Amino acid sequence: MTSSDEVIGNVFGATLSRRRFVKAGGALAVAVSVPTAIRASAGTAAGAPLQLDATKPASWLEIRADNTIVMRTGKAELGQGSASGAYAQIVAEELDFPYDAISVVMGSTDVTPDGGTSAGFVLKAKGSPWPEPFGGGALNLQRVSAYTRQALLDLAATNLGVPKAQLTVKDGVVSGGGKTVTYGQLVAGQQLNLTIPTTGAALTSNLNVTGSPPVKPTSEFKVIGKSYPMKTIPDIVTGKTVWTASVRVPGMLHARVVKPPTLGSTLVSVGKLDKKAFPNVQVVVKGNLVAAVAPAEYEAIQAASVLATKTKWTDWKELPGNGNLFNAMRAADYSVSPTTNGPANKGQTATAFAAAARKLTATYEVPFVKHAPIGPSIAVADVRGDGTVHIWTTTQKAQALRGFMANMLGISADNVAVHWTAGTGAYGRSNGGTDGCEAEAVIISQVVGKPVRLQWMRPEDMQWSTQSHPLIGDMQVGLDAKGNMVSFQADYYIPGRRDERPVGALLTGLPTPAGEPFLVHGVSTEWPYDKVPNVGEFGRSSAQIGQEASPIKVGLRVHSMRTPVHRQENTALEGVVNEAAAAAGVDPIEYRLGHTADPRLIAVLNELKRAHGWQTRPSPQANARTSGSAVLKGQGMSVMLRINAYWASAANISVSPQTGKITVDSYTLVVEPGIVVNPFQLRRNMEGGTIQGISETLHEVMAFDRSKVLSSDWVTYPILRMKDAPKVKVSMINRPDLNVVGMGGEAPNGLPQSTLMAALHDATGVMSRTLPLRPAFVRSLLGGGEKG
Amino acid sequence: VGDAAAAVLCEDRRQTEELRCSDIFEGGTKLASKLKIRVNGLVHNVTASLDTPLLYVLHNELHLHGPRFGCGLAQCGACSVLLDGKEIRSCVTPVAAVTGKAITTLEGLAAAHSSARGTTAVAPKALHPLQQAWIDLQVPQCGYCQNGMMIQAADLLATVKRPTESQIRTALNGHLCRCGTYNAVVEAVQRAAKTMAKGAKK
Repeated sequence: MTSSDEVIGNVFGATLSRRRFVKAGGALAVAVSVPTAIRASAGTAAGAPLQLDATKPASWLEIRADNTIVMRTGKAELGQGSASGAYAQIVAEELDFPYDAISVVMGSTDVTPDGGTSAGFVLKAKGSPWPEPFGGGALNLQRVSAYTRQALLDLAATNLGVPKAQLTVKDGVVSGGGKTVTYGQLVAGQQLNLTIPTTGAALTSNLNVTGSPPVKPTSEFKVIGKSYPMKTIPDIVTGKTVWTASVRVPGMLHARVVKPPTLGSTLVSVGKLDKKAFPNVQVVVKGNLVAAVAPAEYEAIQAASVLATKTKWTDWKELPGNGNLFNAMRAADYSVSPTTNGPANKGQTATAFAAAARKLTATYEVPFVKHAPIGPSIAVADVRGDGTVHIWTTTQKAQALRGFMANMLGISADNVAVHWTAGTGAYGRSNGGTDGCEAEAVIISQVVGKPVRLQWMRPEDMQWSTQSHPLIGDMQVGLDAKGNMVSFQADYYIPGRRDERPVGALLTGLPTPAGEPFLVHGVSTEWPYDKVPNVGEFGRSSAQIGQEASPIKVGLRVHSMRTPVHRQENTALEGVVNEAAAAAGVDPIEYRLGHTADPRLIAVLNELKRAHGWQTRPSPQANARTSGSAVLKGQGMSVMLRINAYWASAANISVSPQTGKITVDSYTLVVEPGIVVNPFQLRRNMEGGTIQGISETLHEVMAFDRSKVLSSDWVTYPILRMKDAPKVKVSMINRPDLNVVGMGGEAPNGLPQSTLMAALHDATGVMSRTLPLRPAFVRSLLGGGEKG
Repeated sequence: VGDAAAAVLCEDRRQTEELRCSDIFEGGTKLASKLKIRVNGLVHNVTASLDTPLLYVLHNELHLHGPRFGCGLAQCGACSVLLDGKEIRSCVTPVAAVTGKAITTLEGLAAAHSSARGTTAVAPKALHPLQQAWIDLQVPQCGYCQNGMMIQAADLLATVKRPTESQIRTALNGHLCRCGTYNAVVEAVQRAAKTMAKGAKK
């Protein structure tokens, strides 16, 4: 709103104003009002970009004269329909507007407000410790929509000459007194603004829409709870999707980078290319960044490949190698970042453990795995003569990437625009802003003075991207005489929490974001067993492995991957709870039911029993054994609580002691996320996440030697294939009465680890405390393992 | 592809109307050549060195982005296309090896299906039964790998009308998906097979 705007209404504390009348078109633009002081201070924070002014029109919702709605969010979805689908459903519900007439613009810095990170899309829970990121969070979006509905009803009351209380809305048509008017007609010929009050700051992702416009009670939901199709799918299946890989900018060149042979090598000399063989190739060298650039993509690829054989680098051998990973983690210095306490810590674990009738100690070791997107990182960068920088990429946090690139180049973020385009799912990794080739593309474009399209090759993506954390979990559980847990202590160790430093900046020595890498390991679990009187979970983090020893400060960088660190911690937590249940001689579901009074968890556990056809009995099974030619059968289960949602899973497996091969015969996942926004999409999410988690459990470990990551392709980093993918039975519990929306899509990849470990234990009597459960490992485990 | 291999290709192609050997060799083998390739029913003039993998020609010359770069090693299947109806990995197939053959990409799948059924007029919005099943069953998540899944399934259904679940899993085992859509893919292939069987009876 500016001073020239005419205020025409107060809508539950929001301001409705008219800029002017117009001859054609017209719209009601809905923006949130970020207090000026907050915007100014946010803009001066180190490296923080000034965002698109959230107070300007068209920041959130735009009701158009043609009776369509455009919704804008700075978040970007990654294949689960969160923004294009669930967001549109929330808006459609609150406004009683057709779902299909809502279009969603996401992710690009120049046309959307800051969306915070691309997680927590549909969170809705008052008082949740998790912030509702600006531009995301169902509660914010629901309130914005509710304000908008009230503003439109005010306009309709005037237009129809009917009291507001007598108006009804269906499909964007307001009716009352025997007359009707569409939302579009209400805004036609005018430029209207609705400015909505907020608290918090957009850039710290804690912005909240305030006030209490009337919202639709969950009992009246017509749109939320229905299985609308994902809007992205028709284009995907017909080849019409505009992928980042599809972006073509006039004059664009193709680049490929010659990466150092180790994660700590520096450049000695650059090889020379035969001009006859590569007449159009330009070699770019800046610091330790070496690239081949050519008009034809394959020429750039071939040139980089030849250049790699002729370019000389220093050698480097300061990594522990994956065979020595956990020894190195054990020896690391954890005083570099503070120890954090779990949110449920209470009582005195040390005293209670010392006094416990039975004591259980176990160390769990979870290896590095890769995010391993099917598409390697790709970006198109255009550093223009006028000083502006344009980047097309599949980032999950466009505003952060914008700030990082401005910081790297030493320019104002106002000169950087990040354009989101569709791409591969990456399951985290770039959720902070960048973890790919963006910076290299920008630097190369700056050097050659032309737009540059750069895609990492498969080995490059495997070897130079961040990894998902390894974890050591030291578990101490004290049991009373009946076998109940009276003390639970977990000490979780990881090497760094997050690294946002762009690879291009590291290779060239250009500035990287302040505060990165970020080390502090906040405990990620949400404690499920409220009846345990003494609980102590502690998060500790060392520096990243090899980073300081690397002359280019690379080493083994880490970043969030789906259910970040929570997956690893839960593997240890649920692993040892399964061990405790076995030690107590109690069925693992009954054991958990005995340790909680939480009605949501109890309901999920009981549904798991029913849906899976669970055999209630203690583990391991009576005839568990570690040898023989017969295939052994076992069942196992685990739970996870995360961000207002509950999951429990169970599996039945077959395992051959002779080959060590595990086959998952059946798998059931129960989810209770509060309100189920879109049942079918949630089901697909549950199936997909589970398959990914089974892949991690049975196959995945990142191999590395003392110099580099050895997992470089799908042979050296195998994942689950179609023939071995079990069917996944999904049972959803819809709880509209709770009036919360939890992060239902998040966690299914974090349950198969402890579920399948438990099933192996049930079948054989041997508990693996590490992953993956590859045949050779299982064979050796059974050969050398002790029973019980 | 060396000169000898190109010569063999040239010999193989001699009878085709669209191509002459001079087209293949023009500009030399290493440097850019002018080629004619048949993609989705149309013959295109393209310029590329003979050893350029087909994928880059489809992407950069013909702007077809259904097939996508995943590994460049024929390991993942994101780049699959049909060559005379059989699935191939376009990321490792030299463009010179496909001249004179019919390439079908995801973009041409619907038209290829209609023409195989003898339907000459193809409605612009017509879909291959696989594409329709993929939409009906909401198969993709990110969608990056789905091109290869559908192309391989089209290859399978052209020869096995009603494949068993096991046959589907075996046929598609070389296609990797990281979002975990494997079971949804199996369901969709079964549905498409059913649709196609019904269509064939009419």
